[in-house]
Amino acid sequence: MIEFIDIHKRFGSNVVLDGVSITVDTGQVLYIIGASGAGKSVLVKHLIGLLRPDSGRIILDGEDITWLDEEGFYPIRRKCAMVFQNSTLFDSMTLLENVMLPLRKHHKMGRKEAAKAARAKLELVNMDRDADQYPAAIGDGLRKRVAIARALTLDPQFVIFDEPTTGLDPMAAATVDDLIRSLRSDAGVTCVVVSHDLRSIFTVADRIAMIYKGKIRLDGTPEQFRNSDDGVIHQFVNGLPEGPMSV
Amino acid sequence: MNASTTNFFEAIGAPVVDIARAWGSMFGCGLRTLRAIAMARIAWREVIHQSYLIGNRSVPFITVTLGFLGMISVYQVAMQIKQIIPDFTMLGPAFIQIMIREFAPTITGLMIATRVGSGIAAEIGSMTVTEQVDALRMCNADPIVYLIVPRAIACMVMVLMLSIYAVLVSTISGMLMANGAFDINMRTFLSLQLTNGDDIVIGAVKALAYGFSIPIIAGNAGLTTSGGSEGVGWATTRAVVSTSFAVVVLDFLISAAGYIFT
Amino acid sequence: MNGALKSLASSVGGAVLAIAETIGGAVTLLFRILRALFPPRYDAEGVWRSFYNVGVKSYPIVVMTALFVGAIMVIQTAFYVKKTGATGIIGYGVGFSVFAEIGPILIGLMFSGRVGANNTAELGTMVVTEQVDALRALAIDPLPYLVVPRFLAMLGMLTLLMVLGDLFAIVGAALTAQLLVGFHWRVLVADLLQSRLLDEFTMGLVKAACFGISISCISCYFGLAVRGGATGVGRAVNNSVVSNATAIFVIDFVVGYLYSL
Repeated sequence: MIEFIDIHKRFGSNVVLDGVSITVDTGQVLYIIGASGAGKSVLVKHLIGLLRPDSGRIILDGEDITWLDEEGFYPIRRKCAMVFQNSTLFDSMTLLENVMLPLRKHHKMGRKEAAKAARAKLELVNMDRDADQYPAAIGDGLRKRVAIARALTLDPQFVIFDEPTTGLDPMAAATVDDLIRSLRSDAGVTCVVVSHDLRSIFTVADRIAMIYKGKIRLDGTPEQFRNSDDGVIHQFVNGLPEGPMSV
Repeated sequence: MNASTTNFFEAIGAPVVDIARAWGSMFGCGLRTLRAIAMARIAWREVIHQSYLIGNRSVPFITVTLGFLGMISVYQVAMQIKQIIPDFTMLGPAFIQIMIREFAPTITGLMIATRVGSGIAAEIGSMTVTEQVDALRMCNADPIVYLIVPRAIACMVMVLMLSIYAVLVSTISGMLMANGAFDINMRTFLSLQLTNGDDIVIGAVKALAYGFSIPIIAGNAGLTTSGGSEGVGWATTRAVVSTSFAVVVLDFLISAAGYIFT
Repeated sequence: MNGALKSLASSVGGAVLAIAETIGGAVTLLFRILRALFPPRYDAEGVWRSFYNVGVKSYPIVVMTALFVGAIMVIQTAFYVKKTGATGIIGYGVGFSVFAEIGPILIGLMFSGRVGANNTAELGTMVVTEQVDALRALAIDPLPYLVVPRFLAMLGMLTLLMVLGDLFAIVGAALTAQLLVGFHWRVLVADLLQSRLLDEFTMGLVKAACFGISISCISCYFGLAVRGGATGVGRAVNNSVVSNATAIFVIDFVVGYLYSL
């Protein structure tokens, strides 16, 4: 279980998170939604210590991880993986080497053994044929799939997806949605997905939390979001150009 | 001819073609700059602004580097002289002469290649990848005239000025070292008896040649930036190496010409 | 008047602060690297890859520069000989200036331009594209994985390249002496070898090793501190090469001075 309790975060004079509290139950797929720049990515990066809150607490499976140091976060990051928005594969390595890296570093595997295990992970996302390509040589959608394979190498209990379908064509986006769904149903992985892709949100989410002006506007089921009479939520869910949110 | 020999020739030929193309684009850029200057297509306001950025802003950098160079050169040579014949009368004159004809312009050129060359490449490179250069072309404004010419003129003048300043800085720091560590009279040190007109001409020609080539090479690296935002970093790196190496090669050519003709 | 003084004071103060920040950042990084070396916890495979990368990138420019440095120093010494008639000093003059002073400085500057700038650009690009955060998210510490191999490679490679550079400088000197100055190359090389320049030669290597340390720390520091996208990377490369050049002259002075004590 992940608990964010009253998280505040500002960059300079720009208040991004102004008291955000969310709880994610084990085995759930939670979508965090909101307009671009609303602080969705900022919030999830707190969970693995890439950002530190100005105040508030973060509790992972009952352990308070808010003030762990960099070393202290390494065990957390092994059970809580993250797929970055731009995939962020290491571009000096082939796809296979990208996936092998965590295996070699953490399981002390030899080259051959790690290559075999990494190939199996790539098979899960149907990328084993391109294993020896470099990231620059393949498209965005394929890179995203490899990034997911890399995040799954250490068999994490929690996976954070930062805008996994943004910038992908509809077919590639649907593949990623399927992957998230099967992660939850087959492996019981808890997923936190940052997104503003309406189609994915309503096909995959168990629960949705919307961040608006640094606070949680609504935290509920997709049904509750569809039927909400809050103007802000109505505007976002229906993708309307006019409404209370227009800047 | 079978496939492997073709590959072999391709492997040998590709870098040659690349280098030839790079040199071609560099010389083309230089010629177009000269033509623009000859046709007096110069934005003087921009020249003055660039002179400030290239010249004035480099003064601390040149002071530190040439100051330390002057001190250590005098120190090491004096230590050698001390072991053979403790007669320091020629140290100052020889030091000043070689500073004027060789090290002041060349080290200044290298420092400007490093500081200004990388700066120009980064600036013009960012403009290229964000399509600002294309926007200039759309307004019928030649990027060479607008971006390179002012920098070339400013840099030529400023490298010459900074070289003169470099002679002063290194001579003063060298003199203080000579006086402090070896008790050499300051008047004995400050003598131009080994320096003549040739030395000054050679030094000045070097400074002008470095000053002209640095913005051309760096600007060309910036204008040929490709590969999006990552390309800017690589263009900057390439500019530093090419401009520094150009300074070394020009130094050799001008020194050799100077040796033959004087 | 008062306002002008104030703005002067604030710009000087700002510059001093910036210098202090750079030195502080690079030295802190150096200590963290040393702590990762004893006991060794770094990526052994990465160290070999870095050695290979650094060597392949820099040896052509080092060799070319060394050839020209030898050539230039022969010409400069020959001028002096022409004026004074002291032919006996050519070999010694070239050897001394190349081994002790000009060789290390020029090769150091070229290495900083090629490898240091490249390293800042590479790490900076990894930072702005979040690849460094991705490493951390995979529970891999960037210091032993990215920085320590580069540190060892630059330290080792620049020292080795200085030996190579000294050799090629002699070649360049011999060629120029023969072809341009009209001084037999064998006499030059024989003079040079008899000049007992071992101290100068080893001092050049010590300088190279120190340059390797400073170039790796400074370039990694600026690379990892990049903020603000592509322009940020360009600016970081610029800052990195300028700081490296300054450090090279300061270190050159300090090592030269300490060596003669």
